[in-house]
Amino acid sequence: MASRLSLPGIRQIGEIVNGTRDLGEEAVVVEGVSKRFRIPHERKSTFYDHLFGLARGGRYSYEVFSALEEVTFSVRRGETFGVIGPNGCGKSTLLKILAGVLRPDAGRVAIAGKVAPFLELGVGFHPELTAIENIRLYGAIMGLSRREVEGKREEILEFADLKRFENMKLKNFSSGMYVKLAFATAIEANPDILLVDEVLSVGDEAFQKKCAGKIEEIRRAGKTIVYVSHALASVRDLCERCILIDAGRVVALGEAERVVLEYRNLIEQIESENNKVKK
Amino acid sequence: MWIVEYRELIRILTVSDLKVKYQSSVLGFLWSLLNPLLMMLVLYLVFSNVFKFEDDSFALYLLIGIVAWRFLANGTMTSISAIVGRPSLVTKVYVPRQVLVLSTVLSSFTSSILEFSVLIPLLIFFGVDLSANVLFFPLIHLAFLGLVYGMSLVLSALYVYYRDLNQIWDVLLQAGFFLSPIVYPAEIVPDKYLAAYMLNPVTVTIEMYREALLYATAPSAADLAFVAAAAGAALLVGGAVFGRLEGRFAEEI
Repeated sequence: MASRLSLPGIRQIGEIVNGTRDLGEEAVVVEGVSKRFRIPHERKSTFYDHLFGLARGGRYSYEVFSALEEVTFSVRRGETFGVIGPNGCGKSTLLKILAGVLRPDAGRVAIAGKVAPFLELGVGFHPELTAIENIRLYGAIMGLSRREVEGKREEILEFADLKRFENMKLKNFSSGMYVKLAFATAIEANPDILLVDEVLSVGDEAFQKKCAGKIEEIRRAGKTIVYVSHALASVRDLCERCILIDAGRVVALGEAERVVLEYRNLIEQIESENNKVKK
Repeated sequence: MWIVEYRELIRILTVSDLKVKYQSSVLGFLWSLLNPLLMMLVLYLVFSNVFKFEDDSFALYLLIGIVAWRFLANGTMTSISAIVGRPSLVTKVYVPRQVLVLSTVLSSFTSSILEFSVLIPLLIFFGVDLSANVLFFPLIHLAFLGLVYGMSLVLSALYVYYRDLNQIWDVLLQAGFFLSPIVYPAEIVPDKYLAAYMLNPVTVTIEMYREALLYATAPSAADLAFVAAAAGAALLVGGAVFGRLEGRFAEEI
């Protein structure tokens, strides 16, 4: 571990290093990352609440919920890396930290290259703007230049089968069309690292196949993918390595097949315990 | 630097904000002009008998004050919810959060420039001699932009944690409206308060707008330096407060 700490491009505790950095073989390095959320006993979200609380002699009290504890792993360049675990184990928190949305309380995160988070489709889309304007908006969110976006515009519209509707306002789109446009735009942003949070099951069957094909294509092109899913079969098939998180801690890390097996054991264990309690 | 890297996003967010504001129509823009003009008319009818002006420039005096004030009021009032109003850009994807504040302020800034440029023909129409001192306008307006942006950074960051801040700010703005020389000439302020009164950078800014546009005089270097320093301080403080509070934005929204 000591050698890890001297990796180039890693900054101070609790900070996220985004952008193109040379991490050698690794694309993502996560070291001892912890994240705690404060859950206040009494939610105070106005000046009025604070003043009133003080006047009554109340104190600001909250419970600390530990979402991630000392999580350490790294993802190699070009690897498809799975993240599995039961609901509420901290998978989404981890993904948000990788995306740079949440800041860890302790630990280091270093990422080499541009990250495209697929935490939700259609992030930033504006209903009052047309399809083309939204494509430009999303491209800008991903930090693309105007010329890069214009170059990809036709590809995106074609991939989403929405060429005819390019000048229609987004608010008039059906939800299926919306999702198609969102996926196509996100995938064409040409990121180095994809963070995927179970959003691949979108659109009709034909479009799903197209998406799966596109993901496979990206994988072959040597991009790094971090894939969070409950679909254990697809994790086993897609990912080379995998991490199992339970209650915020890394329980297992290694070959996807072995970790998926371990997860199945964990589920059985939990179920049998539940049954005992019932009896 | 995030401004350079995300300039395309800043541009698009600013333009789309303006588009929504003006409903993509010329008429939308005309409506937005009607507001300051009507306000000027009302205040003129009320106050023109209170303060004796030598010539009949009180209407224009008012209008410049109102248009200048509108940038501060609209700029801060819309950008106070710049972070809270775009939750998906804060919680689902990483963009530097200052981008959101800057683009709303720039949208108000553009509106303000449009309002000022409608003002110029009015000035000419009412027989004001425009001198080369009009060229000071961009300088003054840029300093004012720095001031408004710095304030907006603080407000938008605090608003994430204190959701009644917009109500409080609304009241403070109303107080500020009457604490600045908009409806009355600064000369009526008693001498003993004048030093303190002129410490308000907004007051100095409004006076400079009038010097450049209405009185055909150049603003003094001291005034310009004072407002520029105030803008610089606002940017520094705003950046520091925003940076401190930014860490937990995604959790609090």
